[in-house]
Amino acid sequence: MILEIAIKEIYHNLTTLRFALMIILLPVLFGANALIYSLGDRGYTTQINAYNERVRQNRKHIREQANISLAELALRGPGDIPKRPSRLIFCAGGVNEVVSRSIKLRSDYNFSRSSGIEDEDYAWRHPLRLEYEIVSSGSNSTGRVKINWVFIGVLMSFFAILFTFDAIAGERARGTLSLILSNTVSRGQVLVGKYLGAFVTLMVPLVMGILLNLLIILLIGSIPFDSADWLRILGIVGLFALHISVFIFLGLFFSSRVSNAITSLVWLLLTWVCLAFVFPSLLGTFVSNLNPIPSVDEISMQRRAQLDQIEDEWQRGSPKKLKKSPSVERISVTRLWAEYFTAINRTDTQIADGHIDQQLQQVQLARDLTQISPIATFQYAMEGLANTSIVGYINFVKQARRYRQTFIDFVKAEDQSDSKSLHIYPVREGLSQKPVDPNAVPVFSEQISYRSVLSQVGLLVLFNLLFFIMAQVSFLMSEVK
Amino acid sequence: MQTLWLVIQREFVSNVLTSRFMIGFVVCVLSTAVAVFVQVDDYEKHLSGYNTAVREAEAEAQEWDLYVDIKPKAHRKPNPLGIFNVGTENEGANTVTIELGKPIFVFSSPMWGAPTQKRGSDNPFLAMFLTVDVVFIFKIVLSALAILFAYNTVSGEREDGTLKLVLSNSIPRDTVILGKYLGGMLSLFPIVLVSLIVALLIAGSSPVTGFDGNDIAHIVLIFGVSLLYVSTWYLLGLLLSVWTKTAATTLILSMFIWVVLTSVHANVVTFAVDKFSPYQSQPEGAFLQPAFDVWDEYKRERDAYFKQRGYDDLQASITWEPETSSTGLGSSSYTGGYFRIRRYSVTNVSKADTTIFQELLGYQERLRSEYADKAEEILNRPAAEQERNAKFADGLSRISFADVYHFAVGTIAGTDRQGYNDFIEGSRAYKREIVEYLKDKEAFSSRAWFSTDKGAADLADLPVFKHKRLSISESFARASVDILILFAWNIVLFMTAYVSFLRYDMS
Repeated sequence: MILEIAIKEIYHNLTTLRFALMIILLPVLFGANALIYSLGDRGYTTQINAYNERVRQNRKHIREQANISLAELALRGPGDIPKRPSRLIFCAGGVNEVVSRSIKLRSDYNFSRSSGIEDEDYAWRHPLRLEYEIVSSGSNSTGRVKINWVFIGVLMSFFAILFTFDAIAGERARGTLSLILSNTVSRGQVLVGKYLGAFVTLMVPLVMGILLNLLIILLIGSIPFDSADWLRILGIVGLFALHISVFIFLGLFFSSRVSNAITSLVWLLLTWVCLAFVFPSLLGTFVSNLNPIPSVDEISMQRRAQLDQIEDEWQRGSPKKLKKSPSVERISVTRLWAEYFTAINRTDTQIADGHIDQQLQQVQLARDLTQISPIATFQYAMEGLANTSIVGYINFVKQARRYRQTFIDFVKAEDQSDSKSLHIYPVREGLSQKPVDPNAVPVFSEQISYRSVLSQVGLLVLFNLLFFIMAQVSFLMSEVK
Repeated sequence: MQTLWLVIQREFVSNVLTSRFMIGFVVCVLSTAVAVFVQVDDYEKHLSGYNTAVREAEAEAQEWDLYVDIKPKAHRKPNPLGIFNVGTENEGANTVTIELGKPIFVFSSPMWGAPTQKRGSDNPFLAMFLTVDVVFIFKIVLSALAILFAYNTVSGEREDGTLKLVLSNSIPRDTVILGKYLGGMLSLFPIVLVSLIVALLIAGSSPVTGFDGNDIAHIVLIFGVSLLYVSTWYLLGLLLSVWTKTAATTLILSMFIWVVLTSVHANVVTFAVDKFSPYQSQPEGAFLQPAFDVWDEYKRERDAYFKQRGYDDLQASITWEPETSSTGLGSSSYTGGYFRIRRYSVTNVSKADTTIFQELLGYQERLRSEYADKAEEILNRPAAEQERNAKFADGLSRISFADVYHFAVGTIAGTDRQGYNDFIEGSRAYKREIVEYLKDKEAFSSRAWFSTDKGAADLADLPVFKHKRLSISESFARASVDILILFAWNIVLFMTAYVSFLRYDMS
């Protein structure tokens, strides 16, 4: 019986205006998305080429430094740590549209000079540290919705509303509802039948659009999908299904609550406009305003003050003053220099790490709270699967920090094997001057975890259950006439 | 007239008493309030950043005692109207440092540390959220409301059967349609008005937003354009209501058009133009070599002059280094570094004879600023190309009147791309002013250009950068095309709805 209702519903939907509108709009959007993301500098090919070039340069840099000496390598650092571009960026842009794609682990280009030293003008490089250059890229594209799968998902929720607003209210108005219910069919069955009908009507064009999109991307964009990517795309289709079904239940809820189909549509549209456009962004920025973090200017002032203090202590202050330049003969002087470098490095690292942590926390809190809107939840889940989410970026930052430690440990271990070295870490004169094997230098490799998606999937399932129960209860309690 | 008023009243009352009016009202006012709250906070931050930057620059200016040292700065003052329409307020450079031989240009890639710099934006990750400002809410929510008010004016009444009753009276059809339009607009009017008043109250309650008369005039103009925009959507809904048989179809169709016009259309256009740009430009790096060539040309011309004047004789007493950082085209090359003099070191200034040196400087610095202008012209070409592409995209976007509205309000508020370009242009004009100032004082060939031993440079009357805000008539003139387009849409839609309703088949 459920099936019969569902099939009747599908046949009914196929002949409607909204179905025609959806059939027109979906291929246009999917086609546009495929073309946009397979050609030009937004495309994967361009991005992966840039990434490979970066990695290659990085290797070259490491090889050059390693061939000079371990000390040089230890101070200059391994260079850029690029984040591998996601193959599924056409599904969800996420954080990738906003921030730069690499973290630098290196020392400054500049030499610092000290003239307060007795014997000569000593020039040094500060030891390596992590630099997070968060430059917002694509300046003029901010504030605009991107044509990606997330956006198409938002539109699908709109169509889900259009297909369900009159599912019950319309039948009630026409008087056919009482006819259906006079059969030996329970109200629950009617509801599920209506749900299935709308679900199939929405999912079939969507899946076809997705196939069209992938076909174009494979043919023109030549993105080499591997089996894991296909699995993720399958997961994304699942997310679409969950998302659409939330709004079908929502539509059925309103439709059974309200006596008039038009009234239910008005309510649904208002709800949808708020959930899709106003609510997530407004709440997001509002929450982050309530939870302010120090601005870039404040941070840099704080940093300057702390560094000045260290300078005072070491360059001008009497007890710890660096009087001589470090060298292999002057062990105690070299130790002092090591302390000085470590102090500077610690301050720099603390401030830089702390600042980016604050920024990430702020935006993550805002995102967590906006998940009250199912559309936002759907978006974050999509970004999670496409590996462009903020959680993915946080993981990347954490791994970059771990890599910094690995690299330093490697330098120290390698230094131990050289008997002539003083084993004083961040000073060039205190480290081994022998070249190292470039292949032994650890390289960065990113581990991607999709675990964060689970919570959003759980939330979407919860939304489904909630709205299902709401629709069910309100339909059971509603009048037939 | 009496009947028209009756129709208006009836339409107004039937709208105001519905739940959608109350909901729409609450949603609109609440979201406006939150958006303004957020934007005012942003504005306060920007303003304090601006004030700090100006103060720091002033303190820095106190320390200049050589003409060669001066580096005045042009700061972009935050626009209080950015509270209503953010536009480019958070984008682009906020400070342009003026140096004699330094071209002012904007490259898109951050790699070239262009002379324009950005004050620290607070949290770049927040750009993931859409910027929601008053105009965004009007553009999205108010337009949806207008449709929700208009969809059942004709088709709904027809379904209810009331339309027949209305027309069976001795009311002419044109009065009915006019009354319906005016009545609908009358019920939308308080929503727009109250939202704007709430916005103004919240914005005004902040101690830093001192709106002057000019600002208020701009806000009133924004209000007018917003009404025009809402009216366009209402008329579209009305027209579709005449054309379609049932209210449900009207609503579905108009909401579909709403989705396409407000969010799909502009994005497809921007991306398409971005991708298949009509004005193909070379990569930005390609413009560097010609700029370096200009620099080489400058050096040749200068060296020829020096030779002729016998610079070689000077070398005994004066060593100076008129060269720049000589980096090549590698990754660390920095075009801003070109055209900049690194240092002069005149040994024993008090004893050396510097007359010829001063004369040479007077020649060289003038030449340098001229050549820097030439290089500036070359380095600006990519930005000009981008601007042409962006203009093209804007033109295509204007098919959708939602975007026309956005452009119109951006232009009025002065937070559109043109407003930003004005700032960059202004900083160029400021640079020319500085050069003129130095020329007038004959600073290039003065001793205070490079040495303080015979008195420091007199910089008391150094021009300061003044930010120019557009007057209301200038803003109106700029936005007039967009306002006219909106107006034309209104006329066309109204006429079509009017004619269609006159020929409406009641059967």
